[in-house]
Amino acid sequence: MYSSIVRAQNSFGFFTTVVFVVASLIAVSDLLTPRAPAVGTLKTTNVQVVRGRPHYYSSKKEEYAVIKFSLDADLSSLFTWNTKQVFVYVTAEWPATPAVTGTPSNTTLNQAVIWDTIITAPSADHLANIGPAALKKLQKSAAGKSIDPSRGKLSIKNQRPKYQITHPSGKIAETDNVVLKLHYNVQPWVGLLTWNQDVDIGLWKQLKGGLSKKFSLPAIKKKADAKV
Amino acid sequence: MAEQILDQIRDVAEGQIDFEGQKLAELIANVALSVVGAIAFLVGYLLQDIKLAVLIGLGGTALTFLVAIPAWPFYNRNPVKWLPVGGGPQPLPNLVVNEKSVQR
Repeated sequence: MYSSIVRAQNSFGFFTTVVFVVASLIAVSDLLTPRAPAVGTLKTTNVQVVRGRPHYYSSKKEEYAVIKFSLDADLSSLFTWNTKQVFVYVTAEWPATPAVTGTPSNTTLNQAVIWDTIITAPSADHLANIGPAALKKLQKSAAGKSIDPSRGKLSIKNQRPKYQITHPSGKIAETDNVVLKLHYNVQPWVGLLTWNQDVDIGLWKQLKGGLSKKFSLPAIKKKADAKV
Repeated sequence: MAEQILDQIRDVAEGQIDFEGQKLAELIANVALSVVGAIAFLVGYLLQDIKLAVLIGLGGTALTFLVAIPAWPFYNRNPVKWLPVGGGPQPLPNLVVNEKSVQR
């Protein structure tokens, strides 16, 4: 500590230790905040299966399911001071039938994401990948607030899916026992990523609801049928 | 003249301080950084505002560096008293070997 450089090195070294300890405390403080996410409704509103190509120049035709849905969910308790953003996604899930070609024998469940969204916390609004006008509106919606639990309240009616799903075999029409499932992934500023859980862990309750009723995918809409 | 100025600049940049000052600088740096970290966490947790916690942490750290790194005068209040250059008229110490005074 006899010269300025040595004092700077020593002080900075201890500063990094302090940063590490404070970051660990912040990460652990997540466990002290109760989480009780709940889904009010998750239901399909319109299900169709169409034939299409995986990309423009493909000669292969596959069946694609287009699942419109409605969602009411309250994920507000996931927003704490350490929440950067929450990734919410809806999957369609159905049991694998080994008879279908292309299904690996060790797969028991098919899962495919049909829709997702990123909900930023106000502390991470500047990271949102949106245009300047939308960003201004987003920042205004939580002006003066460090956390905004109302961001976690989702109410979506008759939403078109972002992704039309298919199966490795290319066949998906007339599939039975399909359910929609809501998932979330909490991304903190510091700490571990956490997903929706099926059991209670301490103050973190499992996701209530989050599964739709079982439904079946219809047969392909035929062009000939449409003409008749 | 120019050499004198250069020496002064070098002294300020090097910032040498005495032994008591080194002890004090280390104590100030460690205590202040720990307190800043604790305040940053507590304020951030109570107000649920992580940006504020980061600002307090970085601001407090900058202040701590400002206090601990330059050679402020209060780090040089106990300078080491060196013997004069060239020895000078120093009284010879009495050397005792086997309980007998040694004459030189």
